[in-house]
This record gives sequence, structure tokens and C-alpha cells, in this order.
Amino acid sequence: MSNRTILLVEDNPDDEALMLRALKKNNILNKVTVARDGAQAIEHLFNGPSADLPLPSVILLDLQLPKVHGLEVLRRIRADERTQAIPVVVLTSSRLQEDILKCYRDGANAFVRKPVSFSDFATAMNTFGMFWLHLNEVAAD
Amino acid sequence: MVVNGGIVVAQSPLESIDVGQALTQSQLFAAIVRSSDDAIVGKTVGGVITSWNPAAERMYGYLAEEIIGQLMTVVCPPDRVGEIQEILGKIGRGESVTHFETVRRRKDGNTFPVSVTVSPIRDEHGRLIGASSIARDITEQKKLHAAAELARRADVLEGANRNLDSFTYSISHDLRAPLHALSGFSGILLEDYGDVLSGDGRDYAERIQSASARLAQLIDGLLDLSHLTRAELHPRTADLGAEVTRIAEDLQRAEPDRRVQFTIQRPVPAQADRTLIRTVLENLVGNAWKFTSHRDDALIEFGTTPAEDASLCCYVRDNGAGFDAAHAGRLFIPFQRLHTTSEFPGTGVGLASVRRIVERHGGQVWAEGAVGEGATFYFTLDAKEIA
Repeated sequence: MSNRTILLVEDNPDDEALMLRALKKNNILNKVTVARDGAQAIEHLFNGPSADLPLPSVILLDLQLPKVHGLEVLRRIRADERTQAIPVVVLTSSRLQEDILKCYRDGANAFVRKPVSFSDFATAMNTFGMFWLHLNEVAAD
Repeated sequence: MVVNGGIVVAQSPLESIDVGQALTQSQLFAAIVRSSDDAIVGKTVGGVITSWNPAAERMYGYLAEEIIGQLMTVVCPPDRVGEIQEILGKIGRGESVTHFETVRRRKDGNTFPVSVTVSPIRDEHGRLIGASSIARDITEQKKLHAAAELARRADVLEGANRNLDSFTYSISHDLRAPLHALSGFSGILLEDYGDVLSGDGRDYAERIQSASARLAQLIDGLLDLSHLTRAELHPRTADLGAEVTRIAEDLQRAEPDRRVQFTIQRPVPAQADRTLIRTVLENLVGNAWKFTSHRDDALIEFGTTPAEDASLCCYVRDNGAGFDAAHAGRLFIPFQRLHTTSEFPGTGVGLASVRRIVERHGGQVWAEGAVGEGATFYFTLDAKEIA
């Protein structure tokens, strides 16, 4: 399962560092690609130099992103035949009902509110790895 | 100019109407006055009514023959008689009063809003001989104005709500994001560098951890509070006694070692939004549970008490830490706490939430208590006034 890769779409460098460390600490050694705004995420998924590289097995998506909002990234992912089956886990500070509803309506597979507490965050990332990288079956390319 | 009643008066009436054949000039003016929709009244400088047109009869309910000779104050509500004196004073000085908005009284005692114009009348030598008063019933105008004002306020309110929404959004995201860094990196310091940090160093990192956790709680409290203000209410019948029983069971299960005697009145049927009223009871009973934690003989009571103007008045009473009655007003203000966090934990949002929910149900909340002698929180519910 370690050939599965993760696309992390996150504009906050602190959150990025925390996330990468938490993945490592949980022995999630899968390759992680980081996109630092919505436009980079779209570029990577649709026009990347990596068209021959495998698409990510799961996308961790922040909502409040510069340039292209996370919801728009989500819509683009779901609208394209190549990416429509990739699991998308929305990872955000928000817990507004409107955001949750919009994300699910637009095809998110999960909505996770980033826990502030360090230990809760570590637990959340462990659960994430267990479920999305091990337990969950993804559609074949 | 078209005067109600069908008489058409041209710019210069004398040019277009053959006065000799039809009407004299004064007959013409009398016809205009008779057919006017505005009450046109003549009076002496002293305020005695001398003429009274049909519109005045309709508006005030007095016939001309019963009111001519009486004082103008007859159609004035008692608390506004001074106004008439003021108007007559101005007339006496040769001044007019134009479009003065006030209230007048009908023969049947009902009052209505009017716009009044009063002008002095002079004879051919310029001597002041009386006053003319033209009054228009502006009830409809007032209603339209009030409706427009209401619509304007609704607009303002909607704008304020939109602002609140975006404020809530930025709080939930922008204020929480830096907390991840505070909590996360201090956590990493402890986890990865705990062995090279001194005891003090670890203590400081732990303080950063708990402070950021607390700030996260406060931000969530603020979000909850704003949600309570905007959430739609779905009132239905609920048994508050049964809710309190469930809450008491939950509290006991979470802290099985505590001995608390509950006295719960059942049933207490009420019309309320189930989820929100449960939040009220959870806060009040949860507070009672919390503030009796240092007692071995803790008592918590839920019941109703007769209320004058509300359909239901409930109370939650405990024999816990209580509070200084002088500060009772601060209890329901967000983030105001009467105890330190180390004495009794909490964010100071609970009672503010209680007040907001109860007020949205058309009720009120208040508290009685004394330091060391427990507290009683009362709230009323009036299902008819749910907002």
C-alpha cells in the first residue's frame, strides 16, 4: 500500500509542517506532494509535468485557499473523468454547517475539522492513515 | 387643480367661470370648502369655532350645529390642550403653523394622527379677525410610513446578520489557524525535545499547550453563541422534567463517585425547541452539578413555580458555592465568570447561551443566590412569543 500517494493542499506552512511530521510519526511513509494554493493543486492534477506519474490515492484539501478556493478545487476534481473517483478529505478549521453541507454536496468523502490539541491532531492523522491508506479500497486507474 | 366633489377650478377661476350667471366668488369658495376632503375649520383668535365643513363633520364626528360656538380644545386629547394655546399664541402674533403633525380626538373618544395647518385671517384693513385650520387625517400615511420603516429596519438587520455571518466565518478559520501552530509546535517541543528541556522549559511548553486549548474552547463558545442566535426554532411539546432526568443520569454516569441528590418535578410539559431547551437545561443542571462538587450532601432540584405573566416558570436550585448577589447581572454576559478557572472550570459562555435561548422563546432568566449558600436559576417560557 505504500505506493499510494497523498496530495496535501495546504497554504499555511505551519500546518504543512505539523501535518508532514504527524504523518511521519504515525509511520505513514507514503509519498506526499504539497500544493500551497488552489491553483497549484489544479495545476498538479490536470496539467502537471507528471501526467505519466500516478494520480494521488487520496487528497487532503484545505478550504480557505489563496487563488482558487478549496470548494472550487473539489468541483474541478469531481468534474474530470480522471480524478472524479479520488477520495477527497476536507481538512479545515471551519465547522460551519454551510461548509460541511457544501463539501459533501460537491463530492467530498470526509470532512475533518483540524483539532487544535496536539495529541488529538496526532490521533486524527493516525486514523486518517489507517482508514484512507489501508482500509479503504480505491478505484483502479 | 381638482377638488374632490367634481368642481373644476382653473388657474384663475374668475376668467373661466361666468360669475354673474352661476356663482359669486364667495359661493364658489364655500363650495370648495364644502367639498374638500380636509377638515376646514374657522375659529376666533380665542379659539371659538365659527365654521365647520362636512369633512370636519366626518373626521371629528361632530355636526356643525353641535360644535360651532365651542372651543377648539373639544377635539384635542386632554394631554395636548397646551398645543392649542400655543397655536393660538402664534396666530395672535400673526404667524402661521404649517403641516404640524399631532393627534386629535373624535366625538367617540378615539384619537387619530393629523397634519394641521393654521393661518391667521385678516379683514380688508389687515386686522386679525380669526384663524383657519386645515387638518388632514394621516392615519394611512402613518401606516405606510411605519411599514416602510419596518422594511428598512429588516434590511438593516439582514445586513447586520450577513456581517455577523462573515465575522463568524473569519473567527472560525482565521483565529483558530494560528492555534494549530501554538499547540502543535509546543507539543513537538515536549515530544521531541523533552529530554533536553529543563523542568521549567517543559512547564512553559505545557502552558502554551493549555492556553491554546483554552483559546480554542473560547472561540468555539463564541461560535456556539452566534449559532444560537441564528438557528431556526422548531417548537414542539417537550417534558422538561424528563430532559432533566436524562441530564442528571448522564452527569452521574460521567462521575460515578459523586453523591448528589436530585429532586425533579415530572412531568413539566412545555412548548419549546427541543435541542435548544435541552442546551438550557444542560447548562443550568451542569452548573449546579459543577458548583456543588465540593459538597458531600449536594442537592439539586428542578421544578416549576407559579408565574404571573408567563405560561411557565422553571427553576434549578442547588446548595453549592453560590455567588455574590451584587454581581448577579454579570452572570449572563458572555465570558464573564464569577469564579476562577482553577476553582471551577468553564468558559463563561453557558449562561449567556441560556439567556439567548430563553429570550428567543419569549422568556426571561434570572438568578438568586449568596456566597456559600447555593444558587437558584429561574427561567420563563412563553410559547406564544417564540421569535
